[in-house]
Amino acid sequence: MAMNRRDFLKISAGTSGSLMLSLALPGCSGMPTGYTQETGEWKPDAWLEITNTDEIHFTLARVEMGQGTYTGLTTLIAEELEVDPEAITPRFAPVAPEYRNPLYKLQLTGGSTSISTSWEPLRTAGASARQMLIMAAARVWQVDSADCSAAQGRVLHPNGRDSMRYGQLVELAAKESISDDVVLKPAREWKYIGKQRGRLDARAKSTGTAVYGIDVELPGMVYSVVTRPPRYGARVKAFNESDVRAMPGVLDVFEIQRGVAIVADKYWRARKAQDALKVEWDNEAALSLSTHEVFASYRKAADEDRGESERSEGDYEDSLEKAERVFEAEYSQPYLAHATLEPMNATAWYRDNSIEVWAPTQAPDLGRIAAARVTDLSPSDVIINTTFLGGGFGRRLTQDYIEEAAAVAYRVKTPVKLIWSREEDTQHDLYRPAMLHRMQAGFEGNKLTGWHHQIVGPQLLDWYVRNAAPAQFPWAPKFMYDTLGKVGLLAEGIATPKDMSAIEGAIEYPYNVDNIDVRHTHTDPGVPVTFWRSVGYSHNGFAVETFMDELAHETGEDPYQFRRKLLAGQPRHLEVLDRAARLANWDTPVAQGRGRGIALFKSFGTFVAQVVEAGVENGVIKVYKVFCAVDCGQVVNPRIVEDQIEGGIIFGLTAALYGEITYEDGQVQQSNFHDYQLLRQYELPEVAVDIVQSREAPTGVGEPGVPPVIPALGNALFALTSKRQRSLPLKADA
Amino acid sequence: MALSLIVNGEQRSLDIEGDTPLLWVLRDELGLKGTKFGCGAGLCGACTVHLNGQPVRSCSTPVEFAVGGEVTTIEGLADNGQLHALQKAWIAEGVPQCGYCQSGQIMSAAHLLATNPAPARNEIVAAMTGNLCRCGTYSRIIAAVESVAASSLAYDASAAGQER
Repeated sequence: MAMNRRDFLKISAGTSGSLMLSLALPGCSGMPTGYTQETGEWKPDAWLEITNTDEIHFTLARVEMGQGTYTGLTTLIAEELEVDPEAITPRFAPVAPEYRNPLYKLQLTGGSTSISTSWEPLRTAGASARQMLIMAAARVWQVDSADCSAAQGRVLHPNGRDSMRYGQLVELAAKESISDDVVLKPAREWKYIGKQRGRLDARAKSTGTAVYGIDVELPGMVYSVVTRPPRYGARVKAFNESDVRAMPGVLDVFEIQRGVAIVADKYWRARKAQDALKVEWDNEAALSLSTHEVFASYRKAADEDRGESERSEGDYEDSLEKAERVFEAEYSQPYLAHATLEPMNATAWYRDNSIEVWAPTQAPDLGRIAAARVTDLSPSDVIINTTFLGGGFGRRLTQDYIEEAAAVAYRVKTPVKLIWSREEDTQHDLYRPAMLHRMQAGFEGNKLTGWHHQIVGPQLLDWYVRNAAPAQFPWAPKFMYDTLGKVGLLAEGIATPKDMSAIEGAIEYPYNVDNIDVRHTHTDPGVPVTFWRSVGYSHNGFAVETFMDELAHETGEDPYQFRRKLLAGQPRHLEVLDRAARLANWDTPVAQGRGRGIALFKSFGTFVAQVVEAGVENGVIKVYKVFCAVDCGQVVNPRIVEDQIEGGIIFGLTAALYGEITYEDGQVQQSNFHDYQLLRQYELPEVAVDIVQSREAPTGVGEPGVPPVIPALGNALFALTSKRQRSLPLKADA
Repeated sequence: MALSLIVNGEQRSLDIEGDTPLLWVLRDELGLKGTKFGCGAGLCGACTVHLNGQPVRSCSTPVEFAVGGEVTTIEGLADNGQLHALQKAWIAEGVPQCGYCQSGQIMSAAHLLATNPAPARNEIVAAMTGNLCRCGTYSRIIAAVESVAASSLAYDASAAGQER
């Protein structure tokens, strides 16, 4: 396909201005481009660097947390550059406007957007560099560049014999100007897109050499732990400073905004000193609620306020009056922790009036704001180095751990690594919010005529704008940060995108029903919340697809056929639903003692249907099989797509079977993997993933595997036991 | 206390409190960062190393218990620069996602194959159940272990064939 350069500029201008500049006008943007004599490096744009010794570096602007950007994005640029992805060395991007995610105008990795937002820009960058190399070679050979081609890091002469390495051409290529039309390769010529199966980070991650945040080592580094209030929002009143100072290896102990920090020469000594620390907390402003009060407050809010209308079609009230039968159900979901296997950590070093941070973060530009906020520095004095992430799942979009490390480093003025224990990670997380859903549906005869969905719970941007709003306006003085945070809220849709976190997936209800009414009753009990793998889709998926199953049952229809009949005009939904049903042999009876459940949910642009076979063995829910069909548009790396979908299924099953954070008197009751359990190897079901071959633009795969598996499992248990479970986690003895 | 132990075939001496978990000694005193901290309570397996040939949770093993013992970490699994068969299989299968748990997974699998070169599926599952993976790489882990077990079976068969 040909992509007109001006079109590309237009797209880029609408999404991230300086990205356009760096490509259109090499050397004229904020990011230096061009050839550097001393180092022999050519930087055609913000992403690529090719040396005269044929080393190719690719700046990876989306972090690698398991989801495969390291391989997938490298594959995109490699395809057009005409080199093997294995020949490229990715490195993690510094903070720069060029590397912002155009959807969020922030440099963050989330929302399953890495491939979809990089699909055009990275291929165009690769193609531009290739074209410049070809033009340089053509000039040397005095032939028409149109007759030259490129392959395996070389430009090929039209005579079919001669060729030049990219490294030989970089100095000359830097002098070429990019033509107006950058021609992208047609799909039939792809060598790696849709075919690449390996992972470029597999070797480092199988030999223990991949560097995660927790592995960062600096000269003279010391260690810090922080004791945070057991009740969120409590402040330090007093603590036994001298007792702690007397502990072996302790270098300092002091109050920071988020608690009491201990610094010691060794990590274990800091931990032991922490055992000796006794803090008296001022609980005046602290959270004091218990989980049952959260749901009581949600029900009260739902009774008092029908909520903001988020989707309205037809006349729901009228359909309700005309309905012959009306069904109602209420669903609820608990708070969920992220439980990344690498606990929160960050390493920081304050020197020469600047602070340098090494951290596994999903949002390095927000990390700058967090560090600036607790020091006298401005964001431009903060350097963030991103490492591999030992899991992200949305947790590392919030920069509290960088804030803490920066506060400690600012005081101790030596390199310091701050590590959270697992207990701290579990109890001081920001959680996937607990939510309540009230559903209602009306039928005339067997025709579903009305659909009502009232979502009750908080919005995540209320919690997130604190650092996100200043990061979008980095020139703003620091005293304005809190104001910007509030502006972010007030100017919803302008400074920050509309907050979809509570309603996503519910407003895209895909079934053909004439009268639809989706509402959000906004209520926030004050429990810290944030993004969590698939976010709103994770709770709306359960409510919508369980209720659909209930309606099928009430009307005596097969749950697959019931959905099917309501999907006219939705070919991609229908395709994955049919494929999942076929894969599961839906029309044949399931084995004795098992139930089969189905669910369909689109999230992040990707269509996913799943069938679960489950039963109860010795009083425990047993998931035998998960059949999954997925349409994520053009696949870049089939194996990574399979892995992400399967990983999402396991993540969803973990939530469905075990996931629950509870509060008693303001304190989180869970602490480690014994009471916040993750699915283990022996519980692994057989998983089959069928990927639709498609030339549609690629969509996300990191999250869409999660939402449907939770209702599909619940529906399977209903099919087996005839008992409907409307709250999570699911119980064997419901 | 002054103590010494053998780590990846090398005698290492250090002066440290005996109750310090082996994990932090390996990581922070000896610079072997491949072994990971996950839970500090022996629940997740990310810190698994071999002590005298047995898999142990180094986060919950005081270093004084390892005095004079032989410790093998992920860094010591390769033999003369040749990756362990499991590491090769992990790369070929593309097992790791975030990768954080994989050192522990590989160390658990290495002990399994050292004691049972051709385990059945249920034996692999049992041996690997103590290692958590939040990304959900479990089926690739089984496939990777099985591929090594199968090649060891093939090797045994060919060796047996030669003898005859």
